[in-house]
Amino acid sequence: MSNAQQFDTRPQGEIPVESPLAYSMQRSGAPKAKAGTKVTMRERPFLGQLTLRGGAIVLDEALREVVGLGLPGEPLGLVQDQAGERSIQWISPDEWLLIVPGGEEFDIERRLREALGDAHFAISNVGGGQTVLELEGEAASEVLKKSVAYDVHPRHFSVGKGVTTVFAKATVILRRPSEERWELVVRRSFADYTYRWLLDAGEEFDIAVEN
Amino acid sequence: MTSNAQQPNRLSQGGRIDRSRKLSFTFNGTRYQGHPGDTLASALLANGVDIVNRSFKYSRPRGIVAAGAAEPNGIVQLGSTEAGQVPNVRATQQALYEGLTARSTNGWPNVQRDLMGLIGKLGGQFMPPGFYYKTFMAPASMWLTYEKYIRKAAGLGRSPNENDPDIYDHRHQHCDVLVVGAGPAGLSAALAAGRAGARVMLVDEQEEMGGSLLSSRENIDDAPATSWVEKTLEELSELEHVTLLPRTTANGYHDHNFVTLHERCTEHLSDLAPSANGRRQVRARLHRVRAGQVVLASGAHERPLVYGGNDVPGNMVASAISTYVRRYGVAPGKRLVLSTSNDHGYRAALDWLEAGREVAAIADARQNPDGELVEQARSKGIRIIAGSAVIEARGEKRVSAAKVAKIDIAGFKVAGPVEELACDTIASSGGFSPVVHLASHTGSRPTWNDDILGFVPSPVKGMTPAGGAHGVYALDKVLEDGVAAGSAAGEACGFSAASVSQPNVKNLREGAAVALYQVPHLKATLRGPKQFVDMQNDVSSAAIEVATREGFESIEHVKRYTALGFGTDQGKLGNINGMAIAARCLGRTIPEVGTTVFRPNYTPVSFGAIVGRHCGELFDPERYTAMHQWHVENGAEFEDVGQWKRPWYFPRKVNGKTETMHEAVSRECSAVREKVGILDASTLGKIDIQGPDAREFLGRVYTNKWAKLAPGRVRYGLMCKDDGMVFDDGTTSCLAENHFLMTTSTGGAATVMEWLEIWHQTEWPELDVYFNSVTDHWATMTVTGPEARKLMSELTDIDLDKDSFKFMDWREGNVAGVPARVFRISFTGELAYEINVQANYAMHVWKKLFAHGDKYGLTPYGTETMHVLRAEKGFIIAGQDTDGSVTPEDLGMHWAIGYDKPNSWIGKRALTRPDTKRTDRKQMVGLKPKDPSVVLEEGAQIVFDPKHAIPMPMKGHVTSSYYSPTLQSGFALAVVKGGHQMMGDTVYLPMADGQVHEAEIVSPIFLDPKGERQNV
Repeated sequence: MSNAQQFDTRPQGEIPVESPLAYSMQRSGAPKAKAGTKVTMRERPFLGQLTLRGGAIVLDEALREVVGLGLPGEPLGLVQDQAGERSIQWISPDEWLLIVPGGEEFDIERRLREALGDAHFAISNVGGGQTVLELEGEAASEVLKKSVAYDVHPRHFSVGKGVTTVFAKATVILRRPSEERWELVVRRSFADYTYRWLLDAGEEFDIAVEN
Repeated sequence: MTSNAQQPNRLSQGGRIDRSRKLSFTFNGTRYQGHPGDTLASALLANGVDIVNRSFKYSRPRGIVAAGAAEPNGIVQLGSTEAGQVPNVRATQQALYEGLTARSTNGWPNVQRDLMGLIGKLGGQFMPPGFYYKTFMAPASMWLTYEKYIRKAAGLGRSPNENDPDIYDHRHQHCDVLVVGAGPAGLSAALAAGRAGARVMLVDEQEEMGGSLLSSRENIDDAPATSWVEKTLEELSELEHVTLLPRTTANGYHDHNFVTLHERCTEHLSDLAPSANGRRQVRARLHRVRAGQVVLASGAHERPLVYGGNDVPGNMVASAISTYVRRYGVAPGKRLVLSTSNDHGYRAALDWLEAGREVAAIADARQNPDGELVEQARSKGIRIIAGSAVIEARGEKRVSAAKVAKIDIAGFKVAGPVEELACDTIASSGGFSPVVHLASHTGSRPTWNDDILGFVPSPVKGMTPAGGAHGVYALDKVLEDGVAAGSAAGEACGFSAASVSQPNVKNLREGAAVALYQVPHLKATLRGPKQFVDMQNDVSSAAIEVATREGFESIEHVKRYTALGFGTDQGKLGNINGMAIAARCLGRTIPEVGTTVFRPNYTPVSFGAIVGRHCGELFDPERYTAMHQWHVENGAEFEDVGQWKRPWYFPRKVNGKTETMHEAVSRECSAVREKVGILDASTLGKIDIQGPDAREFLGRVYTNKWAKLAPGRVRYGLMCKDDGMVFDDGTTSCLAENHFLMTTSTGGAATVMEWLEIWHQTEWPELDVYFNSVTDHWATMTVTGPEARKLMSELTDIDLDKDSFKFMDWREGNVAGVPARVFRISFTGELAYEINVQANYAMHVWKKLFAHGDKYGLTPYGTETMHVLRAEKGFIIAGQDTDGSVTPEDLGMHWAIGYDKPNSWIGKRALTRPDTKRTDRKQMVGLKPKDPSVVLEEGAQIVFDPKHAIPMPMKGHVTSSYYSPTLQSGFALAVVKGGHQMMGDTVYLPMADGQVHEAEIVSPIFLDPKGERQNV
């Protein structure tokens, strides 16, 4: 056993919960779609997020058993289940990000720890520390070009790819789960900056925010 | 304001302007009219405006000389409103729009009657190069006075005094092939690379793409060249992976094919960006391009000849004449004399003649000019004077005549009688200089090519020059060269070349050119009329000769001594001529003299474009904690800690008056010492450490021991760099045998994380341990003060008994219904609980604490109070009380050093050096001012003998200093040489205002030295 302490951070009762963008949307607004809207932003808050560290082979086996999804086969890879609800993204040679529906993460971590047994690994719950922003629409890649240094051209950034990259003066994890949709995994404390930046950069495309 | 609706120099037909529409504009207070398609320069010339400026140094009247980026004189201040002021705009590059307002940048009181000109004229001979250095530098104290007047007399415009209301943008771009310049070579290259399937960006600085073809006499495929341009652009715009960027200048070419582009999105429409569909529009954009390959098709600048009076308005480079006639439908004069060293210049005379104007003569420096263009001129009856040149232009505010004479180039002398030809316009051509500026930005020095009498780019990895920039000038060859460059660039990116058929272009037989730069005069250079080399910086051939006589032999020195090619000009027209003159004076060849280095940017870039949207509230990220909204709503003043916004203090309104910081901090301090306070400590860095070797790893990165820390316990740790100097501190908790949670300082979080990874990855990869940042996952609130336990007991199921949940223990349980880890650690010296919950639930917990805390006097406090409270306890802040030169022993923290740990640890070796064992090192002590009302200045120097003669030996300095409401006195932490052995001694702090403060050296622990308050 890994002899680490697992801690379920989710309360049992009905407790008010605030996404990292709760204040930002209130303060900076959440523009509605207009006729000319070419890009739409959406937060997917409260997802379960686990950082997995360890050897690829053991993690892959354990993940197949517990989540039913193996590690992406190559660097910068992103895999997801049929419904697109669970995904695993390569972050670095011994690091992956597992995102699952909120509430599943504690049980998944427990079962992964069991499955991994004596192997050397680490699992850290990071769900409170980052949120997922989606960008969708014909101008999404234009907004990204204003924001990230990485090349988002379809020849270079195909579906099923994900990178950690510079976003304005912060960093984001940028991934492309489908042709029309981009996901930005944003650190909580930088979420407001990212949100305001995207509103500003998206202004010329009449960016809309959906909740 | 006077009005002048006439356009006396406008031709009745021809050009790419829209005569059906008129645009009015104002220049120096006079209103004029032009047409869509005009530049400000072409419109001014159409209106017969000869003088557009006064020169920088001598204040001579100057007119438009060129038609593009190389223009040295037509530099204007643009803007009809204060906020819309733009300095440094070249009239030749500025599209005309309705209401455009421009002024000359020089000339006082105005360009027509210029007082400075009088001084320039009288004083000209007394203003040699280096004049300002020599005349005004002494005494140094007077420079500020001189400068005020010199700046008034000379300058290149001014910045606006109001905020810019416009928005700007950046784009990160990536492409396979970046083609710079959309003339014949660039268009062909883009077509070749684009058809091959490459991602192509084609950028061009002008209003319209097409480059020289927009004013070309030649046909392509038996039709005017412009129809080929249109056809090519149409195909390019239909190619999916090709991006066309007009009005976009490639301004900087940096390492690894990183090119910066400046796109002017609305500056052809109005001063300030007009709104579109009720939305603000981006005014200008900076593109940051990473290109696989660069095709440099930036063309060539025509070199003017350097002859006497060549700056009198009416002197122009020959190709500019063609451009104004053919592209803008403007013939800026009546009677032309052309002075040329080559065939290309003849086009100007032919175009001039076809515009219905008179050509007085062509002075051709060659003995036997015989190319096809020469034949055409002859057949039209133009007088050609072989072996001659214009040696001097006559006239003051406009050319009135040209003095033409036979010249002996090799002997550098006039070889025949002087003939004076009446004319109002003199065109000159000394051949072309490839625009090598961008290639030079990479550090590559251009290579002299004797065949074309010009510098061409030297090889740059990933760059292919094409067309004019490559020294290829004949149109058919240029088109070929473009296709070859585009295909090669595409292939280098993995795209096999597509077929591009060579359009049908008549090959013109060309006579050889002759090398002519400075034209000899009857008088020696230093005595003859001024021959200008760099008109923007007012550098003459005489100045260069003087520079070489004064011993400046390196061209870089000549440049700096004379200002040749300085500033925004970057030597576009003058540099090669200047080098040729330096070469003549030094008796060397041009390649021996070499070139100066061209630097970015090629033409000026607006600050707005450089800044993009990184301004105002987006200038830098603001990091917020989960409780940020509460802090805002409760009136917190914020302090920037790294990028975090932390509450600094929470001023209250008392009797309608807002507390000062001092009042608020006193109240907050007392609340913590007497009742209970709460701090948002979420910003502290938190690193989750897992693995069987986690404990061993901690033992190696911290100075103290970790072998025996049991699960459920917390320990303070000190981290040193390998030089033994403290760089961060914090507590680390043992969560399980192989699992630890490390905290770092707010500002040090990322650095510590990197530090751990570096040591793990490079030095100890054999240790099985992983680090993950969980800073943002947890929100942390510190509840501290004598009433903390009572408050906590109302909200948690954790057993708070002082014997089961002791100081430096942590426990898990629920707080306000939310799972929490609670740590009994204290940065205030009081009973304290640090509650950690998942950040999304933090606001709920925070508010619940207040709902229950009111009756205990729960008071939110900020970083200032935190600083006071921790300093009273002598707790250091890494980075405030340490500065990278302080060891743990200097801090008196011997208890936190495990010299006897079984393995070595970072800093151990350095801490055993004699230097770190010295007893006279600066050591941490407390300072108690003798006058309790004094709060010493942080950074104040400490001396032992205030009567010592200056310079006094400085013995230490104050690192932290506050007023303590608990001690009712100012107090400070300081580092003092040998301070640990000086308890009770008096030291002195002389201040800048002459006061000398006295203070006693005391223990840095001012309050509760035994720690009884935190252990309750």
